[in-house]
Amino acid sequence: MTASANFPYLLALAAFLFSVGALGVLIRRNPIVVFMCIELMLNAVNIVFVSYGRFLNSEEGQVFAFMVIVVAAAEVVVGLALITQVFRVGRELDIDDLDELNE
Amino acid sequence: MTGIIWVAGGLAALSALGVVFSPQPLYSALSLVLSIGALAVIFLVLNAQFLFVVQLIVYAGAVMVLFVFIIALLSPDREERFRVDARFAIGVTFAVGVTVAMLLAARNGITFNGNGFRAQQIGQASDPYHGFAFDQSDNGLVNTAGNVQSVGGQLFTTFLLPFEITSMLLLVSAIGAVYLTRRRRDPNAPVRRERALAREPQLEEDRIEVEVR
Repeated sequence: MTASANFPYLLALAAFLFSVGALGVLIRRNPIVVFMCIELMLNAVNIVFVSYGRFLNSEEGQVFAFMVIVVAAAEVVVGLALITQVFRVGRELDIDDLDELNE
Repeated sequence: MTGIIWVAGGLAALSALGVVFSPQPLYSALSLVLSIGALAVIFLVLNAQFLFVVQLIVYAGAVMVLFVFIIALLSPDREERFRVDARFAIGVTFAVGVTVAMLLAARNGITFNGNGFRAQQIGQASDPYHGFAFDQSDNGLVNTAGNVQSVGGQLFTTFLLPFEITSMLLLVSAIGAVYLTRRRRDPNAPVRRERALAREPQLEEDRIEVEVR
């Protein structure tokens, strides 16, 4: 059994990770954990990029995965800065209470 | 190789469940570290040595340290009850449905265009300069050019403009983080002590004690 036979299972793993991350975004209340679940979804996309790049014999999948990692790092920085500001204003970390920001 | 992929994939899936379902945010963060490490091992098996290192340094190093630091700073409470409503049902249905559909597709082989471009045939193409073949079972190619060299060549030739835009994005996000977390000097805003008193009146005694002294 060569490694390329694992390719569909890697896609299935990526689908599982992505959907579990989406589930976490839906059911968790803590915005920090919601951010972690978004990271999980981005990692699932990276798995798809790298495995397609591997089995189609091209580096471009790895280049795109690299871009995704950079964007994820930037997003985490800005998002956690926002979370600390929200926490400073409201002292509550519940993502359902964030709708009071538009008042 | 197959065994490594299955072990690392199972570990990544289990720790992803740990991220979502552990009530303590710090345990979620540690599960995410485990998941990221397992995915890095999968990158290594898939001949992406450069991404393996980047994943470990950027994700398991920088990003997760940031997460753990923010958790330690804010010390959020345990999350006893999850949101169990229509969104929970939709999310669980989506997750189970997508995973089962992909597993069924994987068992039958993924087909593109419906004319038999099956997954089992994908790895058969010639591999002229894919770099050092960590997994030699497909084509037996061991090239002298490294993976970092080939990926870097792509980054600095074909994808030069997106790469430079990426550096701009990092600069903008760093400036944005500094701007967002700076302390604003608003003369009309209540000072910190008054806000604390409005929140917890029992702090009044402490304040008097401080003023007497």
